[in-house]
Amino acid sequence: MTGLNTGSAGVETSGMTTTRRRPHAPAWSLVPRVNAVAARHLLSRTTYGATPESLTDVVRMGSLRAWLDRQLTPASIDDTACEAVLARWPLATATAPTVEATVDQGNWDAMQQVVQATLARALWSKRQLFEVMCEFWSNHLNITCPSSEVWSTKSWDDRTVIRQHALGTFEDLLLASSTSPAMLLYLGNAESDGDAPNENYGRELLELHTVGVDAGYTHTDIVNAARVLTGLSVWNRWNGGTPGNQGTLRYRSEWHYVGPVQVMGWSHANGDATQGQAVAESMVRFLARRPETAQRIAAKLAVRFVSDTPPQALVDRLAQVYLAGGTAVVPVLRALFGSAEFTASVGQKQRRPYEDIVGVARSLGISAHPDPTRDLGDLAWTLGQLGQAPLGWGLPDGYPDVAGGWTGAGGTLGRWNTHLGLVGGWWDTGAMVFQKDLPTYLLGASKPTTRGALVDALLARLVPGVAVPAPHRAALIAFLGADGPLGQGDLQWDFEPLVTLVLDMPQGSAR
Amino acid sequence: MTVSRRCFLQGVGVAAGAVMASPLLSVRASYADTTVPYTGPVMVVLSLRGGFDGLSVVPPIGDPDYAVARPTIAIPASRALSTGDRRFGLHPALAPLKPLWESGQMAAVHAVGTPDLSRSHFQATEELERAAPGTSLRTGWLDRVLRIAGSGTPFQAVQLGDTAPSGLLAGPEPVLAADSLDAFSLSGSSWIGPRFATTLRALHHDVTSPAIAPATITLDALDTVAALVAADRTPKNGAVYPTGGLGDAMADVARLVRGASGLQAVSVDFGDWDMHTDLGAAGDGRMLTHLGEVAQSLAAFAQDLGSLFTNVTVVTLSEFGRRVQENGSGGVDHGHGNVLLALGGGLNGGLVHGTWPGLAADKLDDGDLAGTTDYRDVLVELLVKRQGLSTSAAAGVFPGLNPTAVGLFR
Repeated sequence: MTGLNTGSAGVETSGMTTTRRRPHAPAWSLVPRVNAVAARHLLSRTTYGATPESLTDVVRMGSLRAWLDRQLTPASIDDTACEAVLARWPLATATAPTVEATVDQGNWDAMQQVVQATLARALWSKRQLFEVMCEFWSNHLNITCPSSEVWSTKSWDDRTVIRQHALGTFEDLLLASSTSPAMLLYLGNAESDGDAPNENYGRELLELHTVGVDAGYTHTDIVNAARVLTGLSVWNRWNGGTPGNQGTLRYRSEWHYVGPVQVMGWSHANGDATQGQAVAESMVRFLARRPETAQRIAAKLAVRFVSDTPPQALVDRLAQVYLAGGTAVVPVLRALFGSAEFTASVGQKQRRPYEDIVGVARSLGISAHPDPTRDLGDLAWTLGQLGQAPLGWGLPDGYPDVAGGWTGAGGTLGRWNTHLGLVGGWWDTGAMVFQKDLPTYLLGASKPTTRGALVDALLARLVPGVAVPAPHRAALIAFLGADGPLGQGDLQWDFEPLVTLVLDMPQGSAR
Repeated sequence: MTVSRRCFLQGVGVAAGAVMASPLLSVRASYADTTVPYTGPVMVVLSLRGGFDGLSVVPPIGDPDYAVARPTIAIPASRALSTGDRRFGLHPALAPLKPLWESGQMAAVHAVGTPDLSRSHFQATEELERAAPGTSLRTGWLDRVLRIAGSGTPFQAVQLGDTAPSGLLAGPEPVLAADSLDAFSLSGSSWIGPRFATTLRALHHDVTSPAIAPATITLDALDTVAALVAADRTPKNGAVYPTGGLGDAMADVARLVRGASGLQAVSVDFGDWDMHTDLGAAGDGRMLTHLGEVAQSLAAFAQDLGSLFTNVTVVTLSEFGRRVQENGSGGVDHGHGNVLLALGGGLNGGLVHGTWPGLAADKLDDGDLAGTTDYRDVLVELLVKRQGLSTSAAAGVFPGLNPTAVGLFR
């Protein structure tokens, strides 16, 4: 994979703080031609599925690094077409007071809009890596959506915590999260009183959001973290909130625990109840920069992008980049995508239901209906039935990111059945517009003339760059009948099942 | 839990002859030639999401504070069905289950509580299903049961009514989740024909991929379910299930009990208990209708299974009970202590178990029925007395719990 002339999926790590080129770093930038296998590998990991358009983009830009650079500066990518689609979900980006003024108390519309807008962006945004990173952080700082307590506040969290900081620094992201009403409500901190603190958020902050359960902290650390967080609360209509501030941060000094606090080597006199917010900020910043946090974030990113069991050496290097860069995310991603481990990891990740279904929809050329009354409720519901509704994981720890978390028979069957539904265009009342002439979309105007050529063309299009074993190719041909000239049904009634079978192949579920 | 226990539970054989011919999961093929029918215990967890109002279901008609707290929705003693215990009646909607109560195949535990006092649907449900307060465990208690005592077959745990994973079963143990048995089929196979599945099988051979094992399990399960469905189309013993999701699900559970190898645990959800308004009294309202559907479904289930019902234990769980005091909308808000219903074999039946704390103001827990029996104690007893786990193994499912006998199971 790292041969000089063949190129590789590796991406030069310019812009990193380190100036010394590692001896095994790929030298492909000397040969700035795009290798197809490498391009597909990078696209399949950093997007919700390679499409003919995204492959063309990479080729046109001349190098994988150029493509990655652009993805890492998403504002530079024109995304007006997707934004036009998103306009139908105005509450997905609304402030909490706006949501509260727009829908009834406890109404789930805003949360459903966040879910559907998330799905629409995965399908159609050109800022694909940004969307993948938003998903990553949404799981790392999971707030189940929908869940009733965040009915008015999830939209603002999505916009000003996750999307604002997805490619910024983790420290800023965590700080924003720790003052986000949605998080404070979700983990019960909004009602946490210094006399008897609710330990939920303090625990998750350490265990899930930062240092991790094996970091050696004690129950006393959890209690102290919970004490530090007391007072971070939320205005609502029963605690004196007004229409202008309901669902926004309220610091309640009367609930803040006062007295010396210590958490994993961080300490504070914490003597002034009015200054509790600054104390919390100090603790959060400290935790974001802990080496254990660096290890955890690095490991999670490596699991996301490289393999279910990433090499520790890679994790260590990424953790160093994280700390050296002041918890900045982009240098870590550059180091990751530029690593030999990434290059060598082709085929080592499995698509989860969400990536699978969105990827299939993208490969089938499903586009967005311009009618703003059409939504993605059907697809979001289907993903829920497959166990992975967008943003829907029910616990604070986020969806499993390894293949072992997704082995249920119901989920596998559901994926196969959904493939057939997407190929057949069964959901034509929603926001998805299906190709009217799928054979021409997938095969071009001049069709193959033999069954073998038809199967080859579909494999090349739908599982590109994968060496398909001869028995599998033969099985697909045998599905149509004896090899030879195309039969009458091959591009008609047998075409949709054939495409579905290709999408169902194990090679197709690799990411 | 020892290896030999796993092998015993493995069982594999099935009652319905047609199913015997179907392929079993390849990794368990060494057991496939046994002809011993699986007659092991099956536990059915019926999740009544939304906050089941135990005070309406098993009304404390002997407690003078009950009628006072609920002026319009209390079940009057004159309308309640007799439990044989002057303190409690049964809601009239439970009439179809009365024969089971009388024959000792149904019982209740009252004032069952959970360690969670949040009264939030989300948090209380999470804590109920995780059943590991104060720990970092992210698995459901039923997943932990299967980890130590699971048969390992694709059918060890089945979830019906919803394919989205239930929190009870959250974790690594294999679960077969389906809307229904009939819906567990390969889309398009009816018009494409068997070559569709044949090709799928061929595509999952001769290649190394993490996708192979789940695909093989799925294809095998499809065959097994198809055979089971074909061999067992109608309820037995004259059972008639009510129309609706719960009746459909329980009819499927009965088919699985009769026909599925290795079935140990079933999770069925039946929600919509969040009756803040229009709960109704003895003769009308949402409770009468909704509870009636539960009663008819479970009565049909018992009848359908006949003698096999003694192998089964059904328990109801809900994230919390409801306020003692009715609200201004003819309903009740989120509360705490609740009733737990149990049906099947091995019960000390026809009794209301537990310690009744009373509904006097000074006995309430923040306005709610206090929880005097920890639901985890009921589950430990179930796992030991009915599912064959050792006490220590069962207790280990619930970290931090020192199990206390409830007396629900013999």
